[in-house]
Amino acid sequence: MVLTQKLHEAFKGTVERITGPRTVSAFKEKGVLSVSEFVIAGDNLVSKCPTWSWESGEPNKRKAYLPPEKQFLITRNVPCLRRAASVEEEYEAAGGEVLLDNEDNDGWLATHGKPKDKSDEAENLPSMETLEISSKNKTVKSIPSHFGDQDEDIPDMADYEEPDNIETDAATLPSTYLVAEEPDDDNILRTRTYDVSITYDKYYQTPRVWLTGYDESRMLLQPELVLEDVSQDHARKTVTIEDHPHLPGKHASVHPCRHGAVMKKIIDVLMSHGVEPEVDKYLFLFLKFVASVIPTIEYDYTMDFDLGSSSN
Amino acid sequence: MASESIVVFAQFQSAVDEGFWHRLSSLKLNKLGIDDSPIPITGFYAPCSHPQVSNHLTLLAESFPSESNEQSSTAATSGGNRNRCPVPGILYNTNTIESFHALDKKSLLKAEAKKIWDDIHTGKAVEDSAVLSRFLLISFADLKKWTFHYWFAFPALVLDPPATLVDLRRASQYFSLEEAKSVSAACNEWRNSSLTADVPFFLVCIDPNSLATVKHIKDWETCQSDGNKLLFGFYDPCHLPNNPGWPLRNFLALISVRWNLKSVRFLCYRENRGFADLGLSLVGEALITVPQGRAAKTGNGLGWRGHQCLPNAVGWEQNKGRQVSRCISLAKSMDPTRLAISAA
Repeated sequence: MVLTQKLHEAFKGTVERITGPRTVSAFKEKGVLSVSEFVIAGDNLVSKCPTWSWESGEPNKRKAYLPPEKQFLITRNVPCLRRAASVEEEYEAAGGEVLLDNEDNDGWLATHGKPKDKSDEAENLPSMETLEISSKNKTVKSIPSHFGDQDEDIPDMADYEEPDNIETDAATLPSTYLVAEEPDDDNILRTRTYDVSITYDKYYQTPRVWLTGYDESRMLLQPELVLEDVSQDHARKTVTIEDHPHLPGKHASVHPCRHGAVMKKIIDVLMSHGVEPEVDKYLFLFLKFVASVIPTIEYDYTMDFDLGSSSN
Repeated sequence: MASESIVVFAQFQSAVDEGFWHRLSSLKLNKLGIDDSPIPITGFYAPCSHPQVSNHLTLLAESFPSESNEQSSTAATSGGNRNRCPVPGILYNTNTIESFHALDKKSLLKAEAKKIWDDIHTGKAVEDSAVLSRFLLISFADLKKWTFHYWFAFPALVLDPPATLVDLRRASQYFSLEEAKSVSAACNEWRNSSLTADVPFFLVCIDPNSLATVKHIKDWETCQSDGNKLLFGFYDPCHLPNNPGWPLRNFLALISVRWNLKSVRFLCYRENRGFADLGLSLVGEALITVPQGRAAKTGNGLGWRGHQCLPNAVGWEQNKGRQVSRCISLAKSMDPTRLAISAA
């Protein structure tokens, strides 16, 4: 972690300790959520998209301002079949895409990639002026895929292979640790899975997304490798690796410093189309926006219902 | 369809959350010391929820028994979590790498298989179907290097001879449109009720009017009625189109022992984005044959169905296709000096 980031974390932590949680709704005015609105929106997400659930996390990390059994939201084992970087190359080749701003799409950010032409959207991108993560991560490809490989002291398990001791039978499907059909012709496995969690960030008063990755043999991914699954416009700017507020260990997170502004923009577009946004739909809008940051992680934010109360 | 083959099951796969290792480390350092007696733990799984990846048996920090009353109260509120169907397991954590490798894997697996076999015979497995799937975890936690060696087993009772497959197809191809609609609705209702959401084995009963109901397996007797179609359903963590998942193995053993059925129609229940997906779910028919020499005695509760005759068991997890243990290093996130800084 670079120093500026550490300093900011310390500052943020202090502010969070001495200020109370937001209780007054400023959802339409600022795109932010109060604590109770976060719970309402979370309840709605869990009921519409049942792969999401509430969890309480580590007992000693619990926030008093949230109900003990509703500390954060999580969906586990979400497939990520391809690296975002390779998808973007194809997108660019096909001309990229832009902010969808017509009657049918209600001004959504499209879910894949980012356009090269940033004239309009550059300001939408959460910027990280003070929070740039170290550029040493450019060597990301050379990092071993999971934690297990990094320690030289770990003995080669082949020494302990014990075919005679372990029985299988004809009714056991031979394990190929390949979990999905791979799209490419080479033999490199790309299927990863993610645990995606959403916490409430008291300082920015918005939800915050965290990613925990697993490789194709279900071993924990180095957080740095998670950056391969982040849209490259965001990978070294808005996605940082920090302590999870409710779980142990370092996890990649989409930094929330511009979430409020982006959500405000989305809400404005909705309202300009005559849709009155409801606060319990906040997380659907939010996850739709987050999909532009992590385009290949296939978490669920399905919306097959009206977004607001007075659409049409 | 005519060619008979044996039912080939896709193995359960394990996934361990970082929180589990953190919890084990603190238990080891603060409470257990060199006590290496087995610890009951709980794994969690859910039906497959994506056409391209299987679901895993996941271990979390919450897999360990709770420390205080405060925690057990939250454990109670998380009951009925549809994404966390509990699977009972046991952890053997050794004190040295040598004792880890010296563990007698065959007899450990057999001991867990015997619990399943006992629960089938006493009827406990009918009352509480969660005990039909069990798991075993052996580990060595090297707390000097923050490295964990481990190996999972998912004990499965071996039918001898193996069950043969008469038919296996997508559930959407097996059911009529009307039935499919009703089965989906009934399964979604089962999954949405906090009373049944985490009950992984069940019965699907379809009456002559194509009306489906989902029931507990203990209600098997009351489902016996002419004209009703009866399927044995289970939450299938596997996504593959030609293989039922691992939990069906012990379910077939239960069905054979308890109800002496020769032909079993089963439903591999799978979901997409949290809702019943009959295009992904499978319906199959398996034939269970009992060895001739022993078949005559089954009426007396003897033979392979006899409680005394423990069937063979398999189930050690493969690691990248090999019979080896796994290893993970968490030095980066568990180094005490670094933790002290972040806790300050």
